[in-house]
Amino acid sequence: MSSKTMNLVQSINSTLDYMMGKDDSIVLLGEDIGIDGGVFRVTEGLQKKYGAERVMDMPLVELGIVGMAIGMSVSGLRAVPEIQFQDFIFTAFDQLVNQAAKIRYRSGAQYNVPMVLRTPYGGGIRGGLYHSQSGEAYFAHTAGLTVVSPSNPYDAKGLLIKCLRMNDPVIFLEPKRLYRSQKVDVPDEEYEIPIGKASLVHEGDNFTFITYGSMVPTVMNTVSKNNLDADVIDLRTLLPYDGETILNSVRKTGKVIIVHEAPRTLGMGSEISAFISERAIDYLLGPILRVTGPDIPFPYRLEDYYMPNEMRILKAVNKLQQYR
Amino acid sequence: MDEKEKLIEAYRAMVLSRTLDKKIVMSQRQGRVGFYTPTMGQEATQIGVSMALKDEDLIFEYYRDVPLMLHRGVQPAAIIDQIMGNSSDSEKGRQMPSHYSAKEHNFMSVQSPVATNLPLAVGAAYSLKYRKKDGLVLTTFGDGSTSTPDFHAAMNLAADFDLPVVFLCENNKWAISFPVEKQTRAEIWKKAEGYGMRGVKVDGNDLLEMYKTAKEELERVRKDGKPVLIEAVSYRMGPHSTSDDPSKYRSDDVKEGSDKDPLVIAERKLKMLNYIDDGIIEGIKKDAKENIDRIFDEREKIPPPTPETMFQDIYEKSNWIIDEEKGEIL
Repeated sequence: MSSKTMNLVQSINSTLDYMMGKDDSIVLLGEDIGIDGGVFRVTEGLQKKYGAERVMDMPLVELGIVGMAIGMSVSGLRAVPEIQFQDFIFTAFDQLVNQAAKIRYRSGAQYNVPMVLRTPYGGGIRGGLYHSQSGEAYFAHTAGLTVVSPSNPYDAKGLLIKCLRMNDPVIFLEPKRLYRSQKVDVPDEEYEIPIGKASLVHEGDNFTFITYGSMVPTVMNTVSKNNLDADVIDLRTLLPYDGETILNSVRKTGKVIIVHEAPRTLGMGSEISAFISERAIDYLLGPILRVTGPDIPFPYRLEDYYMPNEMRILKAVNKLQQYR
Repeated sequence: MDEKEKLIEAYRAMVLSRTLDKKIVMSQRQGRVGFYTPTMGQEATQIGVSMALKDEDLIFEYYRDVPLMLHRGVQPAAIIDQIMGNSSDSEKGRQMPSHYSAKEHNFMSVQSPVATNLPLAVGAAYSLKYRKKDGLVLTTFGDGSTSTPDFHAAMNLAADFDLPVVFLCENNKWAISFPVEKQTRAEIWKKAEGYGMRGVKVDGNDLLEMYKTAKEELERVRKDGKPVLIEAVSYRMGPHSTSDDPSKYRSDDVKEGSDKDPLVIAERKLKMLNYIDDGIIEGIKKDAKENIDRIFDEREKIPPPTPETMFQDIYEKSNWIIDEEKGEIL
């Protein structure tokens, strides 16, 4: 089986290319995605190959990009809008929550929105308040949306192919800190990764780490460096998240640490923690701990203090080690 | 169909719509309907434009477009089913009254947040252009919508990409309690120029004027593929909704049957053309009343949707979270 070594940017780029070649209803639209190839170069070369009608350089208006993409998607196309930074999505929030997410339901399934909105999110690139936010909880709180976030080039391909064949709106969150940080083998042949299925990226008996996106490598490094006997669950899909994989692990280890970059209050960790306590409280040997970004705006100069890191994860590990 | 038949049919749809409107408002007062946004006063605007539409055209309408829907062939029964939210409603009773969907006539599903349908219309026009399909996209909205960012975004994008979109501003002078004079300093139709788009203003109370303008403008859009903003000035003769009391904020009422009523204007003009006479008018009104009364009584008996339908159509395929919640509730 042939494969190529590639980073996250290359994986998403080549997957978009592959899918556009197969399906001419796929149209990309966003700011600077055409001639410039996108500010992170994720769409590099695609306009040259498929033309400006399929890779549309858009005026500077997020709500217009998303609104137009929804209109395209209810009328026979499969729009793939890019929001340059997830931080800029909020003027389009109304379109996502009140249009995209509700069209199938409110029309009695007469209409649906096969749209994949791609956007880089998260910190770690010295982006300050407006180029670093992790807003996944806003979207995961909205029935009708599907929210995914790959943590590596292999998953990115399989998830993106799957999303580009779905008939409902997807928020495809790309952890920008990982865009060029890792290269892995990505098979040339196509494959899908199912929605709502987490990946058990490390196995062990004493701890359950639940994480996703940019924090997966951070948790994995901490686990291997410190020889932690732990399950590491990469959620991959945030809505609907994989409850079964979580429970199977929790029942085995009894000790749970949830790690994400987004602020703690009402983040994904809150939901997962509540879910576990409703279904597996008898298996818990200690409190469910969360290692997350603090409940503050994302600081520029001091971002290293903001991001969850090995030291903070080990603090949680040590705390849980006091229990039995 | 010749012009005479076309105009008589349009008048018939105006009467049907007015009759249905009054029936629903009255039923709301009687406690038989939960809520409604009357369309009285906007019949000529909508039907004048509808007369210039073709079957393949797509429509991204708002919540006050019953006349347009009826003229285009949506059955009064379908409107009543939606108002009732019954099990025959194509939306399965999920939306509050006045938020219709009718895909078989290319009507998009209606949302509450105003003007959010406009960027969608632009996207749909892009689909038509991309697929080299015939047809245009009509999108409708009130005067209040012209203050929104969605209006600005959609106008700018439609002009920018040369897309066949007809922006029909149904200026009925009032956004609930807020008058159009306060909504904007500028004339609405003139805003088009700022986007590099054609803009026109027309008397939306006058069916013949409306039809003439719509015909010209829509033909132009079909020919050159570029958008237009049509400001049709009419008057919201009823309240914003059945929950609204206009006497709190306005006294300049246009009474039904007065010489500003679009139905009265249409009757006068069609009589002058010798297309109709008092006998025909009376017959059309009587038919409409009998039909609507009969259909309303019929549809009122239809039971509500079954509870499990509320958990359907969130996604193409449900997920375990929704399934579990359904199990807890039902």
